[in-house]
Amino acid sequence: MVRSALRSALGAGFMVAAMASASAQVLEIGADASPTGLDPHLITAFPSFMVVNGNIYEGLTAIDKDLKTVPGLAESWTAAPDGKTYTFKLRANVKFHDGSDMNAEDVVASIKRVQSKDIASPLASRLAAVESANAVDPQTVELKLKEPSAALLSSLATIAIVPSAMEANKDALQKTPVGTGPFKFQEWQPNGFILLTKNDAYWEKGLPKLAGLKFNIVPESATRQVGLSNGQYALLPNIDAATALQLKGKPNVKLAETMDLAYTLIGMNVSKPPFDNAKVREAVNYAINRQEIVDAALFGAGVPGGPLSPALKTWALNVNQFACYKPDPAKAQALLKEADVATPVTVTLKVLPRQDVKDIAQVVQEQLNKAGFKVELINQEQGQFIQDWRNSNFDMFASINAGQPDPDEYFYRTFRTGGSTNVFKYSDTEIDGLLDQARSQQDQAARKAAYDKVQQKLACSGPVAHLTYGTLFSAMNSKLQGYDVMPNRSLLTLRNASY
Amino acid sequence: MNRVLLARLIDLVFVLFGVSIIVFLMIRLIPGDAVAIMLGANTEITPERMAELNRRVGLDRPIVEQYLLWAGAALRGDFGTSLWTGRPVAGEILLHLWPTLELTFLALLVGAVLAVPVGCLMAQTRGGAADVAMRVTAIAGLTIPSFWLGIVLILLLASWAPGFASLGYVPFSEDPVGNLQRMTLPAIALALPILANLSRLVRSAMLDALGQDYVRTARAKGLAERKVVYKHALRNALIPFLTSVGIMTGYLLGGAIVVEQVFAIPGLGRLILGAIAERNYPLIQATILVVTAGFVMVNFLVDLLYIVVDPRVRA
Amino acid sequence: MQRLARNKLLTFAVVLVAIQVILALGAPLFAPYDPMAQSVARRLRAPTELNWFGTDQLGRDVLTRILYGYRTSLIACLLAVGVALFAGGALGLVAAYYRGWLDRIIMRIMDVLFAFPVMLLAIGIIAVLGPHTYSAAAAIAVVYTPIFARLLRGPALVLCESEYVAGARAIGASDARIIFLHILPNLASVVLVQTSLLLSAAILVEASLSFLGLGTQPPTPSLGLMLSEGRNFLMLSPWSAIFAGFAILFLSFGFNLLGDALRDTLDPRLRGQP
Repeated sequence: MVRSALRSALGAGFMVAAMASASAQVLEIGADASPTGLDPHLITAFPSFMVVNGNIYEGLTAIDKDLKTVPGLAESWTAAPDGKTYTFKLRANVKFHDGSDMNAEDVVASIKRVQSKDIASPLASRLAAVESANAVDPQTVELKLKEPSAALLSSLATIAIVPSAMEANKDALQKTPVGTGPFKFQEWQPNGFILLTKNDAYWEKGLPKLAGLKFNIVPESATRQVGLSNGQYALLPNIDAATALQLKGKPNVKLAETMDLAYTLIGMNVSKPPFDNAKVREAVNYAINRQEIVDAALFGAGVPGGPLSPALKTWALNVNQFACYKPDPAKAQALLKEADVATPVTVTLKVLPRQDVKDIAQVVQEQLNKAGFKVELINQEQGQFIQDWRNSNFDMFASINAGQPDPDEYFYRTFRTGGSTNVFKYSDTEIDGLLDQARSQQDQAARKAAYDKVQQKLACSGPVAHLTYGTLFSAMNSKLQGYDVMPNRSLLTLRNASY
Repeated sequence: MNRVLLARLIDLVFVLFGVSIIVFLMIRLIPGDAVAIMLGANTEITPERMAELNRRVGLDRPIVEQYLLWAGAALRGDFGTSLWTGRPVAGEILLHLWPTLELTFLALLVGAVLAVPVGCLMAQTRGGAADVAMRVTAIAGLTIPSFWLGIVLILLLASWAPGFASLGYVPFSEDPVGNLQRMTLPAIALALPILANLSRLVRSAMLDALGQDYVRTARAKGLAERKVVYKHALRNALIPFLTSVGIMTGYLLGGAIVVEQVFAIPGLGRLILGAIAERNYPLIQATILVVTAGFVMVNFLVDLLYIVVDPRVRA
Repeated sequence: MQRLARNKLLTFAVVLVAIQVILALGAPLFAPYDPMAQSVARRLRAPTELNWFGTDQLGRDVLTRILYGYRTSLIACLLAVGVALFAGGALGLVAAYYRGWLDRIIMRIMDVLFAFPVMLLAIGIIAVLGPHTYSAAAAIAVVYTPIFARLLRGPALVLCESEYVAGARAIGASDARIIFLHILPNLASVVLVQTSLLLSAAILVEASLSFLGLGTQPPTPSLGLMLSEGRNFLMLSPWSAIFAGFAILFLSFGFNLLGDALRDTLDPRLRGQP
């Protein structure tokens, strides 16, 4: 009896296994961390972003793999000559995953939701310039701006369009997202997996090609690697160089890479000594050997970075143009002497708890200690780190930031006096003027000229020592076709992938 | 016997009460503003958000009232909702409970089943170098870090049997074979110290039994040695065995936390580590409370069994 | 014959523990390099005559970091178990000596603390104190206090009833004098055995917590942390993780063997019990 029951159980097991392999187009993804929620207007962390961005949700515009702004849910738009009114023509036949039509009301509601004090979306600052949003007709939305904003179109790509019924709902979307994207939410087993299935009613005919995406949450790097090489997972997205190196040349595994938009940085608090002195900040830049950081912590897979990522080819200056990027500990010591501060300069460095940042912080500590500083590392928990960061409670911090496709999105809120993420309390009239000027300009060449000056000034004496831009890798099964790694870590190209 | 039972029950209630107080106080002992820290992990801190969260967690009330509300709700199985996902905490715990229970059960099973033959073998090679070697091996098994063993096992498996899908977790009800296939390695990694511990128990019980008069008598009567050993010695080993199952449940829970992390099993360990990373104090509190209460209950049941099995305790 | 084997085992255990303790405490003397000194060029090297155990992901000498890691782990665990012994021992003795309501209150509190699974209480304490070597040590100390309290209370009760203590009391010895001179020495062997076994367990707990990122933080060298950092590079260079794993094993093993052998030698009645 027991034996026959066992046998039938075994049989059932094999059947399930066989069924699973017949519908093997669900892409098994090995993700390193669990999202904390899936509301596109509330999430801040990469694990959540990776799941929802472009897969479940879309914005009016989209960012393509070359970081260009392209049409998303809006098929076209026009800007008034004064740059203060934008009119978006929405795509026809776009349906939400619950079957309802997506129209101008939903777009207006989504924008209001992000701006709402009650929802308190961290994306609100990206829509700071938007004064009002109106539905002209079901297919047309008009945005009125307080002042011209050159980065608006790029920012709109990050504002997901959600059903208008969700405008005041704080909880529902965190658990069960409803979007317009090529994949719809199916199941979330906390700490186990998140399963998305194909959206059959997706507006772009023929997409997506996969039957679904399954984000398996696997915290151990070694376990993910083994899972990819034994075929259990078909994609390890956005992995670091060390992991990529270990997977290189494994059978059935291929690697794809791109320059990361995210950058590692040392932030300095300019509201108190010693970093209120520009010379001390310059000394930090001279003391740091960026190539050594790339070699040590990134395994050579990356580049020394200035204020803008080299992935932003139209904007970024070559780092050779910055004098302080040539490491010179003696010059650093001399600058400290000029600054008339007591050496060694004793400071603390708070570290974001991520392995790559921890490694980089250890290298920086060693470099600074050789050039007249005495740095104490403080390893913090994520929550504590963010709280201290927000409250400007630090001498220095080491962190990694997601970069933005448009310079305005990064510079204005980070370095403008009173900017929403200007936790360094940096205030410089020249920088403020340049940032205001570039923001109101429509002319590309004039914007570029202004941002060139901003980069020059920030590179050596700004409140941030930009360290490195890494090479971003994805490792995948060699059968996976059509997926491109994106510098902003979005997985939206998975809609074109087949397996 | 009833008096013993009553005394144990009173102890149980007292211990559970004490545990609840300690767990409750946890959130209040956090240096700094707990609410700001909780918020800091995920969203922007605004005074309104802080006030709202304060209300939600109930930190705006007098402490005794807070405790009574919290404990009262907990007794009804209501642990509030998780701060970020908005799911009921009780549901989250239930969802993560099964993988951990299965893992600990399998580890206990593997350890206990193997301990009998290993322990017997150890007892038979009494004295001399072989005995010493076995004891040393058993201690080594007891002190091997299970997370390290887990990683080594994964890597070994990857190089020996690359096709063997062995990672992650599928519920037993969905795919029993796949489930057991995935649980084998983590169960072994967790079971080794259990095996080491239990086999020593079996060994010493066997040695005791072999020295007892009745065994000598039985043997003199011509019963087969194996039968003698098994019948008497294993029965003797039962009581210390029960005691150590209680103790080992605690070890297993601790070990499971780390092993789950290595093998990507969505159990209680992952739940609590995730909760720590996102500063989800209500979830941390509830998980510690529920697991500890479970642990206390297991020990209580073991105690009861003990009374049933060993007549001397009844007196 | 058996007795001899047992003593040999004890000698072996003592030597094993002594070597590791000396290496740990003398780490600055024995270590060939600075534990923090990085070298990009010599990163993730396999063992050579320059770096006997290879180098880690930042080019630091693994042998050096293991010696310092021993130091971190050992100091943290000695501190933790020491505090637990002192606090738990004191509570247990007081409870046994004064009996009555004091005994009941103390032991009930100990029951409550003892009810928590070790790792879980440790994680809870760290959630409050934040991740640090000393948070881990504090957690271990709290968890082990009731073990010592219970361990000492039982035999102390028996001793207090004994004619020997009654005699001391009769000639007018003070409470403290009785506890320290007459009761404590008689409990030394039990304490020694248990301390050794708990040290072994504490080392594993500390390593587990550091492995999970809840204990010692970089750049401080710690065995659990080395294992945790090294595991990200296992397929490139497993050395740091492998040696750190063995170090944890040997340290914990040494103390466990010592406790086991001590128990055999000091108290033959308990032989073979786990």
